[in-house]
Amino acid sequence: MKIRQIVKTVFMTEIVKGMALTLKSMFSHAVTRQYPKEPRPAMPGFRGLHALTRNPQTGEARCVGCGLCAAICPSQCIHIYTTDSPDHTKVVERYEIEVLRCIYCAFCVEACPYSAVVLTEHYEYSAYNKKDLYMTKDRLLSNYDKYMGWEKDQEYFKKFWHPLTADFGTPENQAVFKRRKEGR
Amino acid sequence: MMKFFELTALVSLGLLLLKIAVVIGAVMLHVAYATYFERKVIGHMQVRLGPMNVGFHGLLQPIADFVKLFFKEDIIPEQSDKPVFFIAPVIAVFATMSSVAVIPFYEGFRISNINIGLLFILAMSSLGSYGIIMAGWASNSKYSFLGGLRSSAQVVSYEIALGLSLVGVMMLSGSLNLTDIVKAQERYPFGMFLLPQFLGCFVFLISAVAETNRSPFDLPEAESELVAGYFVEYSGMRFGLFFVAEYLGMIIMACLGTICFLGGWNGPFPIPYLPFGWFVIKIYIIVFVYYWIRATLPRYRYDHLMGLGWKVLIPLALLNIVITGIFKVLA
Repeated sequence: MKIRQIVKTVFMTEIVKGMALTLKSMFSHAVTRQYPKEPRPAMPGFRGLHALTRNPQTGEARCVGCGLCAAICPSQCIHIYTTDSPDHTKVVERYEIEVLRCIYCAFCVEACPYSAVVLTEHYEYSAYNKKDLYMTKDRLLSNYDKYMGWEKDQEYFKKFWHPLTADFGTPENQAVFKRRKEGR
Repeated sequence: MMKFFELTALVSLGLLLLKIAVVIGAVMLHVAYATYFERKVIGHMQVRLGPMNVGFHGLLQPIADFVKLFFKEDIIPEQSDKPVFFIAPVIAVFATMSSVAVIPFYEGFRISNINIGLLFILAMSSLGSYGIIMAGWASNSKYSFLGGLRSSAQVVSYEIALGLSLVGVMMLSGSLNLTDIVKAQERYPFGMFLLPQFLGCFVFLISAVAETNRSPFDLPEAESELVAGYFVEYSGMRFGLFFVAEYLGMIIMACLGTICFLGGWNGPFPIPYLPFGWFVIKIYIIVFVYYWIRATLPRYRYDHLMGLGWKVLIPLALLNIVITGIFKVLA
């Protein structure tokens, strides 16, 4: 044992082992991703830039201005201003998100009963001033057109958003009054 | 008659200046690309890529670094000792750069052929540490002061081991002239002192790493404890000068190792049109080993560093001298 220890010290076997390891790893493939050249695709369900979804029939925003998202937002970065229209329906006049204050918790997406406010997979949106990162309603809608779209919307609707209103419909097998079922 | 002499003197002076320009240019290019290859080699050893963006595979990175350093703001600490602060990087660079003058790159090509070439290089490498100590002192910062103190202690202790490891070479070749040392090696196996002087070579390589303040003996600049050691307060081109001095010192030590232990410009077969081919290849191998050691080993503790220098390397070098002496007497 003693002689072995001495041989180990004299020939520096441990250092030689370490050197062999570094030499071996020199010829292995580097794991670096060269980011701007090789962008990384976002995983499904990624919480990136915000968007307001559109109603596929009307093309307008699904948002009804209930304010649940603004209420639950921990960093209070959602501002909603609503008014009354002449026919007494609620109109969402302004819907604004301060992206710089957002913490991407997606509580707003969970709270929204219509999945009107969502987070897209887009994550490369750095800007040189605060104004570019202050999202107004128009910009949020155009974010939806650019980074979400109808097909992805459907997929996300089923898998991730699944708002409360998705379950509001009447199942076919539910018992109902006869007159009602016949549609009188 | 006078005119003729003046003309020949002028021509030889011009040739000498041209020679110096060529050598300095080539060496500085090597220094620049030593930084690039260090980053590349260490990067690949750590399963990274190293510089990739400036030019093809980052080949223009050293030039970009130079331009950046040159145009950076030069910050001078208010409480610093100005003249010493200014002169320290210059001393560090010029002490190492003047060693290039005596290095024979191939048969008959060197700037000056002096008989104490080996001693000259050793003297210059210890002068280089003055630059470091002065920088540490003049910066008026505790980090750089500690770095300077550590450097002086380290250089003083490892210089002895470095000098003693070369004594065996001097005994075998019977000369301090670097050209004569290379020529003396032709009689030995592989045309090198590597086998008859393996102990000396071992001690030399380790103390050369310590002498140039490189990892695992980079205590003077220990990033994790002293931020950057003796050049914390330097910025811009003054910092660049220290950087150049470090890599230049590394290349000088590689040259010295090549000349004293690896047989200089002699190789197993002559490379056509490149008389310095083998010399350069051997330097690259030694410099690569420097990088390799840096990528592998962690930094020594300070007392271990001193213990290694005084208790291991110096006795080994002395043993090498005794063994060489016995063989010299017997043979």
